[in-house]
Amino acid sequence: MTAPAGYVGATASITADDVPALYEGAKFYSPAVGDAGRSSVSAWLAGLLERNGPVPLLRVESVAPDTPCVSVCVLGSGSAMADLPPAGDEFVAAVRQIERLQRVRFGAIYPLAAATISALVAVVTAAQLRVPLLDADGMGRTFALIHHTAMHLAGVSPTPLVAVGPTGESVLVEVPSGPRADRLLRGNVDTVGGWAALAAYPTDAGTLRRAALPGTVSRIANVGRLLLDRPDPDVLVTRLGAITGCRRVARGRITELEHLSRPSDVTIPAHPSSLVVEEIDGLTRQLRIELRSEIVAVFADGALIAGAPDLMCLLDVSRGALATLDSLEPGDLVDVLVTPADAVWYSPEGMEMVGLASHGIPLAHPRRR
Amino acid sequence: MRARSSTLPITLGELARIGPLAGAELHLADPARGVQQVVLAETFDRLRHCTPHVLVVLHDEAATGGWSLAAALHLAWERNVSAVVVSRAVADSSSAALAQRLAMSLIVIDDDPIEVALQLAGQVSAPAAARAQRQARLAELLAEQTGIRGVLGVLNRELPGVPVALTVGDVVVAGQTAALQDRPQTERVEIDVHTAAERSAGRLVAAVPVPGPAGLDQVSAVLRLARPALQAAWARSRLDAAARAAHEQAAFGLLRRLAGEPRVAVSSDPAALEVPSWTAELGWQVGQFNRAVWLAPVHPAGEPSDDVTYLIRASWQRGHSAWPLVADGDGWVSWHSGADPEDAAALRRALAAFRDSATAHRLVIGVGRAHQGVAGLMRSVAEARLAAHVARETGPGVVQWFDQVGPAAALAWLPTAEIAQVADLTLTELMAAKDRAVLVQTVLAVLDAGGSLSQASRQLGVHRNTVLARLARARQLGLTYDEPGQRLALHVLCYALTALWNDSGAAQSPMP
Repeated sequence: MTAPAGYVGATASITADDVPALYEGAKFYSPAVGDAGRSSVSAWLAGLLERNGPVPLLRVESVAPDTPCVSVCVLGSGSAMADLPPAGDEFVAAVRQIERLQRVRFGAIYPLAAATISALVAVVTAAQLRVPLLDADGMGRTFALIHHTAMHLAGVSPTPLVAVGPTGESVLVEVPSGPRADRLLRGNVDTVGGWAALAAYPTDAGTLRRAALPGTVSRIANVGRLLLDRPDPDVLVTRLGAITGCRRVARGRITELEHLSRPSDVTIPAHPSSLVVEEIDGLTRQLRIELRSEIVAVFADGALIAGAPDLMCLLDVSRGALATLDSLEPGDLVDVLVTPADAVWYSPEGMEMVGLASHGIPLAHPRRR
Repeated sequence: MRARSSTLPITLGELARIGPLAGAELHLADPARGVQQVVLAETFDRLRHCTPHVLVVLHDEAATGGWSLAAALHLAWERNVSAVVVSRAVADSSSAALAQRLAMSLIVIDDDPIEVALQLAGQVSAPAAARAQRQARLAELLAEQTGIRGVLGVLNRELPGVPVALTVGDVVVAGQTAALQDRPQTERVEIDVHTAAERSAGRLVAAVPVPGPAGLDQVSAVLRLARPALQAAWARSRLDAAARAAHEQAAFGLLRRLAGEPRVAVSSDPAALEVPSWTAELGWQVGQFNRAVWLAPVHPAGEPSDDVTYLIRASWQRGHSAWPLVADGDGWVSWHSGADPEDAAALRRALAAFRDSATAHRLVIGVGRAHQGVAGLMRSVAEARLAAHVARETGPGVVQWFDQVGPAAALAWLPTAEIAQVADLTLTELMAAKDRAVLVQTVLAVLDAGGSLSQASRQLGVHRNTVLARLARARQLGLTYDEPGQRLALHVLCYALTALWNDSGAAQSPMP
């Protein structure tokens, strides 16, 4: 068997050729996101990498501990970003604003979340600033709020942070307590254009050695290569399992889509709805998949078998590709894949922040029973 | 020892018939499942601490929809709960499917869960009161019914798993025949239903599964409750039927007078006679081609009684409620009207379906030809009547079509009884003989064969010499068949005697 072409393992740099794989891998770690911003951001990044040369991808341990580092991500909705594309200087402007405030020069960029479009914009920012990208991030997938990070759990403050909108306007936030920052920002994102370029968690590489999740950028590149290879779904699940620890909990057909939003009184803003899948083999269980802005829990015959912070996604068996949540139709044959999140999220503090209870599901997580 | 019925825990099936759950959407896995307690579960924690055999009403956090009902059903299954009650906003078809998969009863309500839980708690704590409430509700439902089928419908609906039937003799008049079938682990409950004259008219029969959701004494109480409604419905239907029969009979008489009956010849223009509008009120069709059917007893005994007319009407009109049935003379007239005079398929089907009843009531059936209009109907009636007379020769259950009768029909009109009396008086020697039947039969065969002995012996299946010997003895006894002046009279006499004896079978003497 030949290994997938260009298997990167621990990557040394990111070139224009790696962009499609990065994009696919980033999608795997945030299955809710549609394809709205794909072509523009990918093309932009590929162009940048061709002009400015590859971006070095460094392990956190290989960077001097006193190197100042800052994370970037996209704040707000992906469809707004497709409507109002970036002018190009938003992320650099955000980083420069913190540099001016703190009177430092950042020596490395890292993604706040190595998933979604945010994984790509971190590479964009590093290429524009001509600094290396750290092979680490704060989430290891995506979570809804900006303080849902390993850095926050390790006591690193997200502020001072700067959000720059596509209109060129910017917001600087300084708060003593991380969770307040998100509330302040959320009110501003709509005003600056529906989305904003965020630079946050300015710190040094030494702190990131203990606070960030290592190896997550090269992981998405590896996952992306597998997905682009489009093997048979069974082979794909096996290979993904080797890289991410993911497993298939069931294969079934979608029988019902509940679109109605239910009232929810929880910390994370989202419209709850659910999906019913009839397992086609094995025990032919009835799976109920609970959706917020992502899949937050999977029940088999009413028993909880997976839940946040596990990463759950659906693989469209007929296409051999990941199914985004807005593309599901009754009758689709899907594999339900569950990938464990990074270990930090299963700690009591992590579970409290991003676990099932934060989605209004007061049940014990199957991994903690 | 068996617990007293008043303290037996109430079952899901019983709860589902009363109070707040009566209008609910039910997905009961086992209606016989007992309910010992009601729990209003606000949280999953509460659900986790339920004891078995409780009924859980989900509320608040435990009923937020989507996943919560699935999880609650699973927890309920783990705790061996009797049933889960949830408000409609939360349930969907997948929930019902999951409940079925887990064999967990799911009840979907429209009312406020807290109120429902309170009412249910009251019912579960006092099962006897709940049962009384159920019987009261049943009495109301039965009181609303005006027909026999309606009453049986209510009984079968309200006693799930217990088939109930109304029988007269061994025949199921209404309800489910399953009530009469012997099945293992069922006990039969029977209640007599009397008519006004204190005569036992029918019998309500219920097959009660034992052990089952409904106790024997409960079923018997319910059947007794249904009795007055049934008697009233019975009496009313008899009354209605009698009124309708009189109405139809009068209308038919009027129709016959219009057509100028009695008259066999149809007028030159069949359409000249207008169809009176009042025939439509009775649901009759007369305007097109009419093919009459005459139903008559094999042995006519004057005008049939109302009771017999009622029974005949019930079986004739089964599946053909629009077809008339009019008592006329010693039989009943019905007809089928259609645009195509050749199309008798519907009539043939109806006759085939009626055959068993005709045999049971010892009826013969004559069918006329199709003729147009009112006058045509009357002509067809006359034909059908003639055909029915011919059919009497063969026996009960026979259908005779007029097209196949021909002039032989004339013989059917012979007053055989009177002719036999003539024989008694004029041929005393013959009638006293023990072998008179054989002799008369032989003479008839010879006359039928035009005097040919060989044909007659072939038909009778005896040797020619035997025929000769019998003829000689017949002649000695006064049956002088070969005298030309007496031949016609004796031929008719032999025919009448044979027909009479074949019918009754009484005068048959042993064959030599």
